[in-house]
Amino acid sequence: MKIVAPISAVDEVQPLVEAGADELYCGMVPVEWTERFRSAGVNRRIFGNLTNYDDLGRLIEQAGERGVAISLVLNAQHYAEEHMDALLELSHRFASLGGSALIVGDIGLLALLAAEGPAIRRHASSLLSCRNADAAAFHRELGAHRAIFPRDVTLAEMVRTVAATPGLEFEAFILNDGCVFEEGNCHTIHLPSRQGGPICIDGYETDHRRVDFGPLSDEERGRLEANEESYRQWLWYRFSCGFATTAQGLPFGPCGLCALPALAAEGVVAVKIAGREGNTGRKVQSVRMVRSTLDQVEAGRAVAATMAFAQGLRERPDLCRSGYMCYYREILADGRAP
Amino acid sequence: MIEFAMALVDIRRVEALLADGPLIPTEIPASLAGLPVSRLQFGAEFCESLLPGEAQVRRVVDLAERRGLALSLVSPLLSDGGLDRLAPLLSLLPPGTEVVGNDWGTLRRLRDRYPGLVAVAGRLLCKMIKDPRLPSAEWARLYPHGIHSTSFGAVLDRLGVGRIEMDVPPFAAAEDFRSVGRSVSAHAPYGFSVKGRACKIGSLNLDQADKFAIGHACRRECMIYRSELQRPGSPADLATIQRGTAIFYRHAPEMAAALAEAVAAGWVDRVVVAGDWP
Repeated sequence: MKIVAPISAVDEVQPLVEAGADELYCGMVPVEWTERFRSAGVNRRIFGNLTNYDDLGRLIEQAGERGVAISLVLNAQHYAEEHMDALLELSHRFASLGGSALIVGDIGLLALLAAEGPAIRRHASSLLSCRNADAAAFHRELGAHRAIFPRDVTLAEMVRTVAATPGLEFEAFILNDGCVFEEGNCHTIHLPSRQGGPICIDGYETDHRRVDFGPLSDEERGRLEANEESYRQWLWYRFSCGFATTAQGLPFGPCGLCALPALAAEGVVAVKIAGREGNTGRKVQSVRMVRSTLDQVEAGRAVAATMAFAQGLRERPDLCRSGYMCYYREILADGRAP
Repeated sequence: MIEFAMALVDIRRVEALLADGPLIPTEIPASLAGLPVSRLQFGAEFCESLLPGEAQVRRVVDLAERRGLALSLVSPLLSDGGLDRLAPLLSLLPPGTEVVGNDWGTLRRLRDRYPGLVAVAGRLLCKMIKDPRLPSAEWARLYPHGIHSTSFGAVLDRLGVGRIEMDVPPFAAAEDFRSVGRSVSAHAPYGFSVKGRACKIGSLNLDQADKFAIGHACRRECMIYRSELQRPGSPADLATIQRGTAIFYRHAPEMAAALAEAVAAGWVDRVVVAGDWP
């Protein structure tokens, strides 16, 4: 199983590879793109992108010297007709520099790259919402070599899709940056914080109503308000427990480490660490967390022992026990592979 | 020729509406008012827990036939288990019935196994920026959609999809709906902004440890409650509603006018009026 880690600068190659990353993925917003389209919309993130081909070339070269493949994200929510030639050019230049794979979030672009893009691998991004075997097979039909499961897919669902789709690799989220909604069905913008930031943590007040226009009873109102409070708690966990780390710099928040034995056993070939916009320390510590847990799996440790190891990394068993940090919470309930 | 469809999720609402006289859509631009509904769009777009049962689909097929209404069965983004539950429903549909698919797997399955049904690409697949907080039209222009692009069209062609469904985005222009060679349905008077899988209202009756988890069995609390959302100090936001797993916005008058213009230009030939959702 490969560890796929985010990278946003050339000088991150060495520490990330030394920490145990097997593949790295980066974003690139060429100056020509910004000048032409007046936006950073090559991919989903405004920050954490390379901006010139020299840096991209050096990053690919340094990773290649260490036997590590580089993928390029082309995962904006969608692209328009006028973007396509620029994306094709970027893809060809990336390939000519030695890049290995394109991570594609737009269904039209995926098909276009298979027909006119460079002869390198194509990974269907989580934005394509590959939730079932038919969707996976369609991505394969369009030329994908790997599908990245979206967040919020259960282990049992993954097992079924993987088993039903030979000839396509699968990757699953393992650490960091838990979207509240589905990336592939989010049509909002991460506004500047003074304008509200991401919609999922914007300061909305909620006024519950009955659909039948009847009044809410006191009992209903009480339960709805208690549920709102629980939701706020869940959001806190979902957003890295207040965007916090341990004293050693290990990130809290969305985590699937306990599910690594199951993911490995069921044929998921790669696990993804999110967070291109994070600092280098956060990225490196994230890779170390996954690498050390995967070492347990590859050494043949029992599932329960591997889970105990993973839950001991942050030294906050209370946070793990809540289940609210889990990408695959069901693993806590049964403590075994599905 | 413009066609009106009414979108309904709750079978009880279908029964109640069809018990009275002809369905007349309300809450649409005045310039479009007066025409009766000629199509039912039945089913949930946003959650596979709301997939109807076989008895419901049989009942809707029967009601639509008796009332002389065309029928579209609407489906959400589905897991493999959800596709298993959709399959017997598809078998109940008369040849030529439309099925609105909101994931690529559903559309592929329709192409490969149900050639007698008519596949429609739902609005979850037709992506554009639809943020109810969008501060200005400039923001919208930074993220143009590619729904009518050559590459997206090639994918739809591969799946035999001749009709797509769109929302009216904030700061919409009539040109947003202009397609070459494909029929366009537009939803009114609500658009959807974002949907998740972890369901807040569906967790209402769950133990704390089980709330907001994926794949839990809810009690369909979304059929009872909806929420109005408001940001203090942001009066320019579009009216925002959360129901079930999704957040919706209500069209502003300028957006309704853009839709009316697109209809007048012949770029939208079907308006899908919200019947009971959000």
